[in-house]
Amino acid sequence: MTEEHDRIEELLAGYVLRSLSGEDAIRADRLLSEHVPSCPTCRRTLAELRELAGELGLAAGASSPPTPLLQGIRRRIDGVARPSRLPRRVGALALAASVVALAITSGLSVSLGSRAREAEAQRGTALEMLSLMGLPGTEPVDLDPQGGTPDRARFVQVSAPQVRRIYLAARECPDPAPGHAYQLWLGSGGTFVPIGEMFRPVDGVVLLTLTLDVSRYDEIWITEEPVGDPPPSPSPDGRSWRAEL
Amino acid sequence: MREGDGLDLELHRRLSAGDREAFELLYRRYAPSALGLATRVTRQQALAEEVVQEAFLALWRAPEAYDPARGSFRSFFLSLVHHRAVDTVRREERLRNRTQRAQNLEPVRGEDVAEDVVEDAYLRVRREEVRNALGTLPPEQRQVIELAYFGGSTQAQIAEALGIPIGTVKTRTLAAMRKLRRALYPEGTA
Repeated sequence: MTEEHDRIEELLAGYVLRSLSGEDAIRADRLLSEHVPSCPTCRRTLAELRELAGELGLAAGASSPPTPLLQGIRRRIDGVARPSRLPRRVGALALAASVVALAITSGLSVSLGSRAREAEAQRGTALEMLSLMGLPGTEPVDLDPQGGTPDRARFVQVSAPQVRRIYLAARECPDPAPGHAYQLWLGSGGTFVPIGEMFRPVDGVVLLTLTLDVSRYDEIWITEEPVGDPPPSPSPDGRSWRAEL
Repeated sequence: MREGDGLDLELHRRLSAGDREAFELLYRRYAPSALGLATRVTRQQALAEEVVQEAFLALWRAPEAYDPARGSFRSFFLSLVHHRAVDTVRREERLRNRTQRAQNLEPVRGEDVAEDVVEDAYLRVRREEVRNALGTLPPEQRQVIELAYFGGSTQAQIAEALGIPIGTVKTRTLAAMRKLRRALYPEGTA
């Protein structure tokens, strides 16, 4: 193992323990999306560390769960059937299409940090997203507004198998509170990492694209955060949108 | 594959097909360990039960999140519980606007298994193996693992609480994880 791999293993050890923050968390996410998938040594190291981190939980001991716990789970399972992807997909496609149409026709600004603010770039992004939506296996995901977030404010994420890009679109998105912006998070096994720069809607519309492999994640979450470095984990108290991937 | 893993795989396969009985069997197998872990991390029974409930509901809603090719179901599920417990602790911290957790950063001795817990023998055996492996670590290495994993602290918080450079925290963490890996998986995890 090289010295570089030692440093990577050090980062991955902190990652599986859920103990990274700030720059280390961002470095880990970059590693996990850019280096680890193509490095057999790191893939094996990560798999071994993940297995170990899970089993460490056994050391905590065991408690007999109270009867109401299982009863509560049964009630919630009975109350909410397993989500069917199809209706969500249709709704998400319609939402994505409407945002693309807005972006192409209105010349609105693209919210992607300081990059790609010109109208040409936004039209290009919108057309790329439109093109992606036509690929087989494309799975648009409609994000659910959480807590007091207005229902009319909708986000949709679009990605396709074998394409290392995701597109995020929204319409009727409210401006964040003063001193705040929105942050995109992707989660895997309950661990969330901030993705990209914070953003704000322009005239209620968001259209951004990021290069990453979304297949490694199982949840997407957009939260309202104070402007600056993102916190170690998403803040659920402000406006937010969330969905399983 | 270790003892118990085969049954977990079979139950997970049935769960993926929507089998409620398989789900409840997995609940009976792992709810005690999950609750023990969540209680240790959150230090609050009500929060711990909420974590366990959400983890099992996540399993029911998206059983495909577990990929058997990536490791054991046991490890996957306890990781799920751990991550949710840590997120809960951090959310609670923010709500209480606590600026530091120094008073809470003392390593906690491993709780015993409650007497009324019924669990498979292989889990008891594996729990002892994990505890024994943790017990062989030098105190300073065990401390950082305890604070990170069971205390839900970030490496930066640990460095601040212990008054040591964050680089030292990282070095101790890596050394500890390597020792644990050698002790618990002498022939690899596959």
